[in-house]
Amino acid sequence: MADGLAALPAPNWLGEAGLARCRRALDSRLTRETWKYSPLRKVTQALLDAPQTHAPPFADAPEQVRMRRFSALATPPAFKVSLDRYPLAGIAGAVAGDGWLVKVVETPDAPLRLQPAAPGVAAPVLLEVAAGCRVEIEEAGAGLSSFAARVVLLSLAAEAEVCWSRADLGAAAHGWSLLSAQLERNAVLTFNHQSLAEAFQRLDLCVALDGIGAQFNGTGAALAGTGAHLDLQVVVEHRGPHTVSRIKQHNLAAGKARCTFNGRIHIHPHACGADADLSNRNLALTANAEINTKPELEIYNDDVRCAHGATVGRLDDDGLFYLQSRGLTASAAQRLLAIGFLRSGLQGPFAKQAARAFVTQLSAANTG
Amino acid sequence: MSLLQVDDLHAGVDGQAILKGLTLRMDAGEVHALMGPNGSGKSTLANVLAGRPGYEVTSGRLSFKGRPLDQEAPEVRAQAGLFMAFQYPVEIPGVSNMEFLKAAQDSHRKANGLGPESPVAFMQRVRTLTEGLALNPEFLKRGVNEGFSGGEKKRNEILQMLLLEPTLAVLDETDSGLDIDAMQTVASGVNRFRSANNGVLLITHYQRLLNHVVPDFVHVLADGRIVESGGKELAHALEERGYAWLTA
Repeated sequence: MADGLAALPAPNWLGEAGLARCRRALDSRLTRETWKYSPLRKVTQALLDAPQTHAPPFADAPEQVRMRRFSALATPPAFKVSLDRYPLAGIAGAVAGDGWLVKVVETPDAPLRLQPAAPGVAAPVLLEVAAGCRVEIEEAGAGLSSFAARVVLLSLAAEAEVCWSRADLGAAAHGWSLLSAQLERNAVLTFNHQSLAEAFQRLDLCVALDGIGAQFNGTGAALAGTGAHLDLQVVVEHRGPHTVSRIKQHNLAAGKARCTFNGRIHIHPHACGADADLSNRNLALTANAEINTKPELEIYNDDVRCAHGATVGRLDDDGLFYLQSRGLTASAAQRLLAIGFLRSGLQGPFAKQAARAFVTQLSAANTG
Repeated sequence: MSLLQVDDLHAGVDGQAILKGLTLRMDAGEVHALMGPNGSGKSTLANVLAGRPGYEVTSGRLSFKGRPLDQEAPEVRAQAGLFMAFQYPVEIPGVSNMEFLKAAQDSHRKANGLGPESPVAFMQRVRTLTEGLALNPEFLKRGVNEGFSGGEKKRNEILQMLLLEPTLAVLDETDSGLDIDAMQTVASGVNRFRSANNGVLLITHYQRLLNHVVPDFVHVLADGRIVESGGKELAHALEERGYAWLTA
């Protein structure tokens, strides 16, 4: 057990029993399996040793967005997702002490900008989007060289729509974050994620499609540079009928980077007519780069459509020759192919910025 | 000095000999057509000239503008003015055609000690060339050859040739898979390109293309060697009689 975990006090909203369950779940087979490629104990220790940060998640929030601290609520917040499933989230919450309940009651006029994670453990955010609201959320990492952790538990009421764009483009950024989303009837979550990693970065993305017709679209591109340890864990639970998920993740590993993607689609017995598609493509630029990919399907209903695929490879020899035959040097051709591969996984407002950052990084590292 | 000089060239792939003593000489201002049955080595010659990895020259000489080519990297050959239009152009997702064309042109200019052309002048030139090849300007924004029809891919090859202005263009079965209109468009691009300062090596199976691009010389390749050379009338004879009378 990490030092200080046993003595960690439980905040009221979590309770002693809740924290005890999280402590126990940390050592469960499921947790160990999902942390197979990342150092769980080290991250837990980093959480315990990190300072707390309680800044409000959205600065200058418009009137359609209401934020209150957990400690200011008359009754503890109701979590729609059990924290036992994500024990590290419970530990992070206990370290932070307090949390934020954010309610989006009407469609805001402009995108909401999530404050960049400060060094340390941010107070967990319980973000509730009311029925029919449409919200764009932009989250740009601060690129800190110190450890940062953030937990967001998102719930979308019926017909709500959230487009979440996230960019971790500061190469020094390291830390862990969890976005857990629960969607009601016909709600839609779009998550675009771009990451440029040179250190340890882990993202847990857990989506529960509970309501009929709920939909998740996830697109991501990551460049893991020398020394990076990038670990992306995506779980989509199709619980409601006619739910839809689309996941596309492109990862490129350079130098001695270690890059992991685990994508699990779970179709529950009541999810008739579910439609899921998961694609993970990986490119290793060097012989020393390590890529782990594990697409998983778990299906308990016959009336579904599911597809998944993962590829691991090198830059295409035919593509390289084609570009060289047009006068590009071997390294320029490799860079162009690499950036093209990453671009195919870019979407949303940070796409151009991410593409520029990838080009700069690939040029500077002369990875090609 | 010849534009291209190939002397007793032996070359192959994966240890398999394909070219077995090929000799060919081309001067500036000439269009040569290279014809021959399947497996005779036409595409191998194109790939050897362009420096494709895996194609090995085992003996003979290969020079371009008096400069030995054997050890040169593909990009060095390209920058020196050698261009190969691919039989099967490669798709490059995520890289727009415009970005690709700009990178290709910049690399040529850099090799010649020039800076990049201004974006406005470059785009204007590319658009003009695009119109001349009956290509929708929108296709410049799409990924290189991604989702292009067969005809669009071949016209894209011609667009690159016109943009890069090589001194030797090797067109590897650029006419294959084209309908009549597309072939005429491609042929008119080649005719626009040909001049006293450059040469074209047209690799083709059919005489049809040669009705539109009239060659100065026609060569027949069989079993890795040129077995017959002549003027444009040779192509007509091949159309009527096939290859058997030359390869028997």
